[in-house]
Amino acid sequence: MNEILVVDNVTKTYGKKGEKQYQALKGINFKIAAGEFVAIMGASGSGKTTLLNILSTLDKPTTGQVFINKHDVSTLNTNQMADFRSKEIGFIFQDFNLLENLSNRENIALPLSLRGLSARRINPLVDRIAAKLGIKEILNKYPAEISGGQKQRVAAARALVHEPSILLADEPTGALDSKSARELLNTMENLNKHDGVTTLMVTHDPFSASFANHILFIKDGKIGEQMIKGEKSRTDFYHELIAHLGTEE
Amino acid sequence: MIWKLSLTGIKSRLKDYTVLFSGLVVASTIFYMFLSLAINPGFMSKDVNAPGQYLSFIFGFGIVLLAIITFVYLVYANSFLLSMRQHDYGMFMMLGAKSSKLGLLIFCETLLTGILAAILGIIVGLGLTALVSKLLISSLDLHITHFQIILPNAILWTLIFFVVVFFLAALRNVHKLVRSKVIDLLHENQKPIKISRKNGLRVVEAILGLLLLVAGYYIMGMPANAIFFIIPAALVTIVAGSYFTFDSFFTLIINLLLKKKGFAYRGIRVFTLGQLKFRIRDYTRILSVISLLFALALGAITVGLNFNSLKNQAVVSDYYDAQIVQNTPAVQKNVDKLDIKSKATYHYVETKKELFFNKADFDKKPFKYIKFSQHGNDFPTYTPTVAKTKDLVTPGNSANTRLSMMLLNGTKKIELVSPAKFNTIQGQKKFITLIRVKDFVKDYPTLTKIEKLQMTSPMISRVLSNTKPFTYQVVLGFASGFEFMGFFLGIAFLTMLASTLMFKVLSGAASDKVRYEMLYKIGTREKMLRKSIRNEIGVLFALPGALGIIDVLFGLRLFKALLPKPYMGIWLPFLIFIVLYFIYYIVTVKLYENIVLKK
Repeated sequence: MNEILVVDNVTKTYGKKGEKQYQALKGINFKIAAGEFVAIMGASGSGKTTLLNILSTLDKPTTGQVFINKHDVSTLNTNQMADFRSKEIGFIFQDFNLLENLSNRENIALPLSLRGLSARRINPLVDRIAAKLGIKEILNKYPAEISGGQKQRVAAARALVHEPSILLADEPTGALDSKSARELLNTMENLNKHDGVTTLMVTHDPFSASFANHILFIKDGKIGEQMIKGEKSRTDFYHELIAHLGTEE
Repeated sequence: MIWKLSLTGIKSRLKDYTVLFSGLVVASTIFYMFLSLAINPGFMSKDVNAPGQYLSFIFGFGIVLLAIITFVYLVYANSFLLSMRQHDYGMFMMLGAKSSKLGLLIFCETLLTGILAAILGIIVGLGLTALVSKLLISSLDLHITHFQIILPNAILWTLIFFVVVFFLAALRNVHKLVRSKVIDLLHENQKPIKISRKNGLRVVEAILGLLLLVAGYYIMGMPANAIFFIIPAALVTIVAGSYFTFDSFFTLIINLLLKKKGFAYRGIRVFTLGQLKFRIRDYTRILSVISLLFALALGAITVGLNFNSLKNQAVVSDYYDAQIVQNTPAVQKNVDKLDIKSKATYHYVETKKELFFNKADFDKKPFKYIKFSQHGNDFPTYTPTVAKTKDLVTPGNSANTRLSMMLLNGTKKIELVSPAKFNTIQGQKKFITLIRVKDFVKDYPTLTKIEKLQMTSPMISRVLSNTKPFTYQVVLGFASGFEFMGFFLGIAFLTMLASTLMFKVLSGAASDKVRYEMLYKIGTREKMLRKSIRNEIGVLFALPGALGIIDVLFGLRLFKALLPKPYMGIWLPFLIFIVLYFIYYIVTVKLYENIVLKK
């Protein structure tokens, strides 16, 4: 199996030695294979954000290793981490994080120009991903001129335009109404199914998580139980998830 | 409790607060320094030595300008203060602080900041006035002796000005914050940016702006006798032209660059351009003001330094450096000290109505004088000329006039006669010795002494008040005064305008932080982010600077009638100015980076 993400015994401790320390992650282990759609669920303070920051190379683990596409990212220096992110990782944030002073087209093109692609190669790639996400008509508008759902699609296009190894989504539906949220999740599901986009989504919303085919529960800095969708329908998986959450302590 | 919270809030942003506070102190320091110059009674009447009315006009104008720029500056500094504090204020309100109490807190905080800065500024101002005046006087070799450093009136006015401005600012802050919704205060930096797409209109505006600038530059080159038309017309066209140019021309260029994807899609250039596009639109007013102030400040220094050339003018405007009409041993002793280049003595006999000169003296050493010629309104040129015999005896001829001004009883008719005839004429035998030295400036002190030693009668004193050393002395006082003033005003304006721009940039930093964070997250190297910041702020500094320089280059033509070569040595003030401006740019970049790239 082609593993895209390997998290090996990762811990993260905040605070200097000799001072009061706090261990946010206490030995995390899991793997994501190419083409998987994994959700990580957990309550506030469970270590979700810390884990995501480490996976996205914004932070380094105290101990343990993280491999993305076979690269040990825990050994990279700051510049290498930046280059790595621009190449291998796509991000979707809760509050879109689009640059309001750029048109949607320019926003989407940014990761490509960061990687030094020529304008001639950039434009067709932007058009292609925009067509896939149904945002071709709004490419020349500015983020302030479009709806929240459209903004998140633009953000998704930006995250995917450079064909990263993995898409990291941090509460992607957090700022969307239910209709836009469902549309976005459907899109992510389709991208995963038809284009094989490996996706890791961090969320505390069971509805969002039910679109994944594998759910990891994080609690007090450790991965606890896991749920696998298998052949179940999304609705069944959702009900199972709700039932699971209801019985949790 | 709320006071304690307020203090903690300030403490947590101590670094930003220090920047703000030191900026305010600088403003107050400069305000005091300028006032101490403008209302310095001894300096004005004795050192600058210029007609009183003229000077009070110049300084009145200076004070108004300085007050305006200080006011603008304080408004921006205050908005920076607000941008730092409003999130805290919003939080206090959310926690249930009463708006009346919060209003009082904001009011006191603003006013106290202002008053403290004013007081500290005055103290620094006292020290700096002493230092700068000494430095300028010695380095520019100025002759200023009556400059008074501690001026109670200047202290008082500085305080009054700052208290009034900060009182208004405090009221404005209270009004703004208490009326705002809590949610807006908490999310002030997440407000959407306005987008404008009226490109056609923008093209018209850009063309209009450029045309107005060209018109303004043309007007400034018009003959100086139309000065009452030139100044207001140039002011209107250039102010409007600058505004339109910033509002549209530069935005159009950026739009054009953004359209050229081959250029824009390189690194995060597209982001830098996007930032600039919105910035320049948002900064139109401030950039126009800054370009004008830049021009005024640079112009003040250039013109001030140029007054120095009047000294040289005084040196070349007369041919002879010393004239001796009465030779005593003391005079002779000093003449011996001079490094003489040429010396001519002319003997004459004074009768009741005439002065008879021995022509042989003139044949041996021809009399020379300076011929003036002037083209249009340009500064006159001076040419040393050998006087012909005919010219010397023709009343009203410039050679004749020059010679008679040097003589005792020079109003009598001048005649040149042969040596034979000269010896037969009965009357008082007299002489005049005219000396040219190798280096006038070096021998200037001895030359003055020679003059003083001869002044034993009112008549001699009168004759000697037309000499080169005397003219030089008058010009020296006048030029030093203007040079000092130009330098002082120039530096003061520069500090103020660069600080204004700095605070304008910094007050937007808080809302830019998110953008830089996002760019960092998607994999932009920090080096690239820093480069983008340098470029962006660089353009914001360079545009008004460049326009200001162009303004000055054209504006100097206004001084063609007043100064011999207004463009002479122009590189020096430009260099000083650009170096200082560049330092401000670096400081702004560093401070901005500290805010937006802080992890």
